Amino acid sequence: MSTLSPPIKTHLTREEAEEIRKRLGREPNPVEWGMFDIMYSEHCSYKSSRPMLSLLPSRSPRVVVGPGYDSGIVDIGDGYVVAFKVESHNHPSAIEPYNGAATGVGGIVRDVLCVGARPIALLDSLRFGNPRSGRTQWLFKHVVRGIGDYGNCIGVPTVAGEVEFDSSFETNCLVNVACVGLAKREDIILAEFKEPGDILVLVGGPTGRDGIHGVTFASKTIGQQSEEDRPAVQIGDPFTKKLLIEAVLEALKTGQVRGLKDLGGGGLTCAASEMSFKGGRGVELNLDRVHVREEGMTPYELVLSESQERMLFAVNPQGLSQVLRVFEKYGLSYSIVGKVTEGGNVSVFFQGEKVAEVPSEILAQAPVIRREAKEPSLPADGQNYPTPKEPENLNEVFLSLLALPNIASQEWVFQQYDHEVGVRSVVKPGEGDAAVLRLLEIPKAIALKADCNSRHAYLDPFYGHAGALAEAARNVVCVGAEPVAYADCCNFGNPEKPEIFWQFKRGIEGLAYMGRGLGIPCVGGNVSFYNEDSETGVAVKPSTVVVMLGLIEDLQWITTLALKNPGDCVLVVGETRPEMGGSEYYCEIHRINQGRPPAAEAAREKASLQTVLKAIRAGYVSAAHDCSKGGLAVALALMAVQGKLGLKIELEHVPCRGVTRKDELLFSETYSRFILAVNEENVDVVLKLASREGAPARKVGRVVDDAVFLLQASGTPVIQVDLAEIEERWREAIPRIMEGKN
Amino acid sequence: MKNYTVEVVIQNKPVARDPEGETIHRDLLLKGGYENVKSVRAGKYIQLEVQAEGPEDAEKLVFEMCNALRLYNPVVHTSRIQVREK
Repeated sequence: MSTLSPPIKTHLTREEAEEIRKRLGREPNPVEWGMFDIMYSEHCSYKSSRPMLSLLPSRSPRVVVGPGYDSGIVDIGDGYVVAFKVESHNHPSAIEPYNGAATGVGGIVRDVLCVGARPIALLDSLRFGNPRSGRTQWLFKHVVRGIGDYGNCIGVPTVAGEVEFDSSFETNCLVNVACVGLAKREDIILAEFKEPGDILVLVGGPTGRDGIHGVTFASKTIGQQSEEDRPAVQIGDPFTKKLLIEAVLEALKTGQVRGLKDLGGGGLTCAASEMSFKGGRGVELNLDRVHVREEGMTPYELVLSESQERMLFAVNPQGLSQVLRVFEKYGLSYSIVGKVTEGGNVSVFFQGEKVAEVPSEILAQAPVIRREAKEPSLPADGQNYPTPKEPENLNEVFLSLLALPNIASQEWVFQQYDHEVGVRSVVKPGEGDAAVLRLLEIPKAIALKADCNSRHAYLDPFYGHAGALAEAARNVVCVGAEPVAYADCCNFGNPEKPEIFWQFKRGIEGLAYMGRGLGIPCVGGNVSFYNEDSETGVAVKPSTVVVMLGLIEDLQWITTLALKNPGDCVLVVGETRPEMGGSEYYCEIHRINQGRPPAAEAAREKASLQTVLKAIRAGYVSAAHDCSKGGLAVALALMAVQGKLGLKIELEHVPCRGVTRKDELLFSETYSRFILAVNEENVDVVLKLASREGAPARKVGRVVDDAVFLLQASGTPVIQVDLAEIEERWREAIPRIMEGKN
Repeated sequence: MKNYTVEVVIQNKPVARDPEGETIHRDLLLKGGYENVKSVRAGKYIQLEVQAEGPEDAEKLVFEMCNALRLYNPVVHTSRIQVREK
């Protein structure tokens, strides 16, 4: 009998079912099977990823709460903390982009809210297939609108983000959203049950049958049936969310709330069992009390429903009426669904009967699955492709690069967002390498950026992931911030395939290496597996998005990328190498998806980061930008376009190693490089600073008061273009594609 | 060929929530004292003038068009199509 599969349909493996019976010492009933099914899903349990994620360094004197809670929490001094988290909503967005993306925002906002922080900013990191395909246009338009509408309705600005297009995302788009919140350190609250006798209050939207097994849905690959998989997609409700935000923060002010968690994937089961496990207390739930939207819901449906906009509070019984008055004031529905108990069991009652009783440690601690990792025979084999001939007209190549969807201006996206609501935005989308938000409460600012380069990560997951972390660090440094912590969102294919798990393993090792080397802790993350098309077996390129938090203690340090003063000298920090694999130039101009991507080396990265941060903070730098997609040429062009000033650059002065061709110098995407504009009298001191830090750096040219962009080698023009043409190519590309013009 | 007026009404599926309708109901109508209103569902209305051989053809044309160009998403929406001869 005991070797049989569970009596109801679950996604548990035979071994998991056996383990549950063994630990429980009996056969679970159907409700309990349902609870195990959801808690042992990849989404709730991280059963494949946990052993790898523990490799990521996650401590620093600033870290208050690290991975494992709803949000990471970082101390920024003066009694304040920043809470942030990033999460994927890939699967729902791929079948219903508007609501899938909107509810993704809703979920991540609750994660920040439920540690007691006020949400102040959103970031989005999106990946789609070919932007000219009908499906991608449909997904892209509705995902962007879903995020924009939701953010605008709840009054939280979308301040930064990135969009990447690659054919591997055609079926499975990636929609990652981050939320950042601010709180006083003393107001932080955790998702734990601490005091037996505390009353459980379920607040927010009524519980319905929607989203039952949404989590197990997210742990499956997308196939034809998904279009019919109806109940797994939620409808976003920003109107209730806005009330919920205000009500939660006011309820916490009473001092009577002792534990709080949002209900996301896994619904009431997940919230109650995790709070019970973390706090070391038991919990008793009375399902008859849950306020519902539909009649006749069964216990199974009530414990597994994933209806949106719900939060579970543990409230001191003495302060209950005070807390309930707050919910009534905001017109929010609530129900008193149970209490915290001694012991460690999750006990569930319905119509006077006990319908489930399971120790929370068994629910919250799914056995780890040691997945096999095997290096795939990727086209990554470094040298096995014919080196392309250097094009004669680099001017034309340069202009084509500017109009590539991965390089062109993403204004089309962020102009649909309200990025100014809340009046905190100082450096707005496109103005700097990272967004900068002024904190109204204290005279400091924070910098935020999300980064990932899936083409680099595909060719070498270790370097590609280490490089994403380094790039995010470079970006916040460019606006004058010190990188203090990051959160990551991993998006991969099916981890049961050894080649995919190898990508994940190498990727996390790369992040761990760079995190340790730069001294930047990881404070939280999210893993989304099964991002692959079940028909074709094509997985997304490995894409771990790094969301970086930077801290600016003096508002005078804030720096943007636009050139400002004619006559300023242009400095390049960091040397260029012929690392062409995964570059936009190779992928899009030569159609080569092979080769070695740039090597990410922590020591080299640190030298460049320190040079630039110190130079900016000493007041020597008038504009700063890092080199990423499109390389040196594109980075220089964007500084000129944003500043409406020309540039004259002598390419023979650019620090480089092993570079033999002009196209390599111009378009290689080598890491650890920055471009700085510096007043002439400070050039020597910045170069000395660089040499002290061990970063190669040189003066390469000047800012000119003339609309010309001139890159020349030993006096011969290599690229010579009018600024207006650069601007048009770069700004018009995405709108033209979306209008179907080319 | 005749001219037809085709009306398309797109709503969230009955099993799905309708936050817009709920908000109109709760925050506008009930607060305004219209207690006899028991529920509100919002949606999108599209009116088209179409040339077709007959009313069935007109309906088929619009139905196929709505599906092909994703005027609604069958994952979350229902569409109702009504044809009137001009």
